[in-house]
Amino acid sequence: MKGLLMVAGREIRTQVRTRAFVIGLIVSALLTGGIAFAPKLFGGPDEYNLGRVGGQELAVQALAPEAKITWKTYPDERAATTAVLDGDVDVALVDGTRVLTNGDIDDQLGLLLQSANREAQIGAAGVTLTPLEMTSVGADTRYESARQGIATVVVLLLFFMIMSSVMVVAMGVVEEKGSRIVEILLISIRPWQLLGGKIFGLGVVGFINLTAVVAAGLVGAFLSGFATDFPPGMAGIVVSAIAWWILGYAFFAALAGSLASLVSRQEEVGNVLQPMMMLFLISYGVSFFASNSPDHPVAEILSFVPPFSSMIMPVRVAASEVAIWEVLLSGGLMVLAVAGTLMVGGRIYERAVLRTGRRLKVSEVLRTK
Amino acid sequence: MLEIKGLRKIFGAGKVALDGVSFEVPAGQMFGFVGANGAGKTTTMRIVMGVLQADEGEVLWKGRPLTFAERRTFGYMPEERGLYQKMRVGEQIDYFGRLHGMDAGAVGKARDELIARLGLTERVGDTVESLSLGNQQRVQLAVALIHDPELLILDEPFSGLDPIAVDVLAEVLHERARGGVPVIFSSHQLELVERLCDSVGIVAGGRMMASGSVEELRDAEGRRLRVVVRDPKPGWADGLPGELSRDGDRDVLTVVGGDDQTVLRRAVDAGHVESYGVERPTLVEIFREAVA
Repeated sequence: MKGLLMVAGREIRTQVRTRAFVIGLIVSALLTGGIAFAPKLFGGPDEYNLGRVGGQELAVQALAPEAKITWKTYPDERAATTAVLDGDVDVALVDGTRVLTNGDIDDQLGLLLQSANREAQIGAAGVTLTPLEMTSVGADTRYESARQGIATVVVLLLFFMIMSSVMVVAMGVVEEKGSRIVEILLISIRPWQLLGGKIFGLGVVGFINLTAVVAAGLVGAFLSGFATDFPPGMAGIVVSAIAWWILGYAFFAALAGSLASLVSRQEEVGNVLQPMMMLFLISYGVSFFASNSPDHPVAEILSFVPPFSSMIMPVRVAASEVAIWEVLLSGGLMVLAVAGTLMVGGRIYERAVLRTGRRLKVSEVLRTK
Repeated sequence: MLEIKGLRKIFGAGKVALDGVSFEVPAGQMFGFVGANGAGKTTTMRIVMGVLQADEGEVLWKGRPLTFAERRTFGYMPEERGLYQKMRVGEQIDYFGRLHGMDAGAVGKARDELIARLGLTERVGDTVESLSLGNQQRVQLAVALIHDPELLILDEPFSGLDPIAVDVLAEVLHERARGGVPVIFSSHQLELVERLCDSVGIVAGGRMMASGSVEELRDAEGRRLRVVVRDPKPGWADGLPGELSRDGDRDVLTVVGGDDQTVLRRAVDAGHVESYGVERPTLVEIFREAVA
């Protein structure tokens, strides 16, 4: 264990000290924070500027509590017309009876004004209206779009964060094999310590990256007010995404490390990792699909099958309601898969990493001692 | 003492890399491993260090088969140098020391001594990739020596070093040997091996052609008599063993074995003897003879 931790320590120090890591961390954190903040800049709540000439203001605000309504008064219709044409106001209400618009009126605003007008007139006639009571008999769909958005973010986050860390593992393995450092290292430590330390150390680095990005995203969301749209159980979604990242990373890193030990040159890494990339891209594709259709049978079934589950289950958790037993079962299976991959991968690594030169095949490595 | 017994290694395509290599290196001895490229030196060293597995034969350390724990106390410098290019010199040496199980204090002390000794003091904070090849080699050596190894195996440690660095390295290796550590190194610089080593092993085609102390090898090669006669009578050397060559108006006769007194009498009768003496073969000659 001590050897493994020493290897991990070196990986962490080496990565964290590079300029690329620091810049990458700042840029990705700023970017995520910015994206989370963006709704405030581009969308945000509806905002209407209304003009009035004579008459009373309509109770529009009461009908649309979240919208930002501003009234301006003009002395006469001519001034109001100019204001509408100049875009100072969206529309102008004249004498409580006519609305001046510049071309077509915004649908939402038109409905608001008509309703407010209706209520004002009915109220004036002494009638009180009882608003319709809405009761959902289906699933709670209030947060559907928010959940879908969050699920998409989870997909992208897992995709980039798993892949970037896994590639560093693969390249590190080839660096050590190709330069024959491994021949000296393996005098003093065992192969499993070397591979395990590398996976663990780079995992810690990836984890720092991931939490920084997630934290920046959440801070951005709270600052922008976007967080008010978060569905209940958001904390669970975040924790699940991070936990699944750990499992997914461990699986793909073990696979990448062992496959990379088959080659001796960096140029061959892409090629030798192809089987792993296939698995990864399938996981990514299905999880993307699951972010839109979390309850589709394909998504449901594959959310239990490792390693696909590592990306699909967290997306289902974000996009819809998943029972806790389902998450635990899927997680348990994934843990088993990680353990199995570490064992077989460790074997391949152990036998291949000292055989420099041409690219080796998995079958010949496992056959020969 | 390190004993290597009957190592055989056959690579994938049926190429016999080692065909029964045996030798031993007692404590405190410097063993020079010489042979042409592809003769099997590196393969032998890699088997001792556990990088390769032998198909047959064994490696004994202090009379017992070598274990991982014992190998951990060895120092190794592989043929193809391996260092982390982007790591700083001092940290790199420390890291390998720690991996060998040294604590931080011991590593720091050993590192400072080695660095001073190898002339790397000013480079300690530089990354390896920024060093010249010769300096990288010194770092490689420091990595092999940091944990005060009980046995040293160095594959071509002198190649690419300037004469001053060669002297420093030779001195460092001598020191370790004097401290009781068996030192094995391979080299193509035969004069160097002859000068430094207590014993020598000559390999060719995966076989140990000769091994022993340089003295023993010379004796095995036999005494060699060299006579130079000016203006000799033609045919004077007929019937004598050896090789006759002509250099201007001089005849040069080289005789291995045979009766030296007979040779001398015949030479004196033949003309003016300019020189007469017993020659000792150099390692280069022994090597050529063994490999031929």
